[in-house]
Amino acid sequence: MHVNGGGHTWSWDHNDRIIDAADRLGIDQLCVSIPVMRGMPTMEQVRRCNDGVLEAMAHYPGRILGYCYIVPGYAESMAEIDRCLDRGMIGIKLYNQYKLWDPAVHPTIEKAIDEDVPILEHAGHPTTPEGWAEQPNMSDAADFVRAAALYPEAMFIEGHIGGGGEWEWSIRELRRAPSVYLDTSGSVIDEGVVEMAVRELGVDRILFATDMTMEGGVGKILGADLTQTQKEKIFWKNFQHILDRRQRRPSPL
Amino acid sequence: MPLIDVNTWIGHWPFRQLRHNTASALVRRMDQRGIDRSVVASIHGVLYKNVHLANEELSKETRRFGDRLIPFASLNPLYPGWEEDLRRCAEDLGLCGLRLYPQYHGYELTDPASLELIDAATELGWPLQVPMRIVDRRQRHPWDLASDLTPNDFQAILRARPKARWMFLNALGLDGSRLPAESNFLVEISRMASVLQRNIQEMITAAGAGRLAFGTGMAFNVPDPALLKLEVLDTSKAVKEKIAWKNAAKMLGIKGMSP
Repeated sequence: MHVNGGGHTWSWDHNDRIIDAADRLGIDQLCVSIPVMRGMPTMEQVRRCNDGVLEAMAHYPGRILGYCYIVPGYAESMAEIDRCLDRGMIGIKLYNQYKLWDPAVHPTIEKAIDEDVPILEHAGHPTTPEGWAEQPNMSDAADFVRAAALYPEAMFIEGHIGGGGEWEWSIRELRRAPSVYLDTSGSVIDEGVVEMAVRELGVDRILFATDMTMEGGVGKILGADLTQTQKEKIFWKNFQHILDRRQRRPSPL
Repeated sequence: MPLIDVNTWIGHWPFRQLRHNTASALVRRMDQRGIDRSVVASIHGVLYKNVHLANEELSKETRRFGDRLIPFASLNPLYPGWEEDLRRCAEDLGLCGLRLYPQYHGYELTDPASLELIDAATELGWPLQVPMRIVDRRQRHPWDLASDLTPNDFQAILRARPKARWMFLNALGLDGSRLPAESNFLVEISRMASVLQRNIQEMITAAGAGRLAFGTGMAFNVPDPALLKLEVLDTSKAVKEKIAWKNAAKMLGIKGMSP
C-alpha cells in the first residue's frame, strides 16, 4: 500500500479513506510505503517519504506498518534504514531505481539480513518495449532469481503479481528462486493468478496485498479455488511468520 | 438481492488459458455467487475473421440456459454480409443484443459503417455493449495490438447515437459529467472501486445511480471483486439495487425479476 504524508499525496484525498477501505473490507493492518516512482530522488526526498510514513504510523498506531523506502546508491541509506527501523518500521521498500541484483543494492540486502526484515521491491514484467522504457531498472522475476541466488537467506518479496506485467511468465520464473515471496496485489484480477502462484510456488510463499486495488485485492483471494487454510496463510499467516523473525531476534545485552 | 451480470464471456482467448469458460461452467459460477442472469458473448467473436460463426457457437451453447444467460451477438461492420448475419442472429439464433469490438475489428465507433450497424441493431430494439478493453495492455501478447478505447470514444458515440441503449464494459476513467445526459447508457463496474478511489460514487454523483450496472468480466476475471464492490458500497439499499439489477433489467427489457 501507499499512503499520503510528508508532502507526498496520491490522487485520492486523505489516509482516512485508506483506513475506511480497510475497515469495510476487514483488513486489520496495512503495510505501507511512499516511494518515488520515477527518476532518481535525492536523499532528502527519500527522508521526506519516510517521514510521511512515520507520520501515518503515528496517526494510526498498530494499524499502519511502515516500510522504509530507500535508494540503495546513497551512502546515507544505511543510517536511514536504522532511523526507520528504530521507529518501528517492519521492512525495506525498493522501487525501480536499481535492479535488485545490482552491486549497489548489496549493502541494503546485507543490512536486511542482519536486521531480519523483508525487502519488498516494486516489480513487473511488461510485454511491451514502452513498458520497459518507462522503467528500465524495474526488477522482474528473473532479477529476483539472480538476487536470491546471491543472497538465499534474504527475505525478498516480489511486488504485485497483478500489477499489469506478464504474470504467468513471472510465476514460472520465480520457481527458480524458492526463497522469494510473491505478493498478490495489483489491479489485474485475472482468473487463475492466485491458483497458479500457489500451485507453482507453494502457498507458503504467497502474501496477500492490494497495492490500492482494495476490493480486487481481497476478492481475488476470496474467490480463488483454495482451501480456507491456504487462504488464511495468504491473508496473514505467511506475513506474520516474516514479522516474527525479527521479533524472535535475541535482545541486545 | 437479485443480480444481473452484464459482462460475461465464454470461449477461448488465444493468448491465455481460461477456466470456467463454457456456458455450463458460467452458470455454475453464477449459482455459486448468487448471480441470477448474465449477459454473455463469445470471445471467439473478437478474433474470428468470419465473426458470425461465433454467434452460431454461442447460440448453440447457451440455448439450454435460456432462463439464465442473455446471449449477445458479435458483429464486425467492416465484414461483408453483416446485415444478413444480424438478421439470422435475431430470427434464427435467439440472440438479443450486440457487443462491439472496434479496437479489434479496426474501426471507430462513429465511422459510417459502424453507425449503420448500430442503427440496424437499435432498429431491432437491441441494447449495445462496448468493452473499453478486454485485457490489460501491460501484459498483452505481442500479437494483440488493440489499444484501449478512450473516454472520448464513448462520449463521441453517445453524442452520435444518444437514443441507442449503451452499456460500456471494463470501463474506467469516464467522467459522468461529460457523458451526454440525454443519452441512454450504463457503465459496468468491474474496473471501478467502491472504496478508496470511490469512482463508483463519483459516477453516481456526476451522472446518477441510474448509470451503473453490475458486471464481473467472467471468464477473464475472478467474479468476487465485483461482488465485494456492491457489498461494501457506502450507499442506500435502493441505489445498490439499481446497480445490482434494476438498471440492467430496464435496459435489457427483463421483466418479472424482484427481490
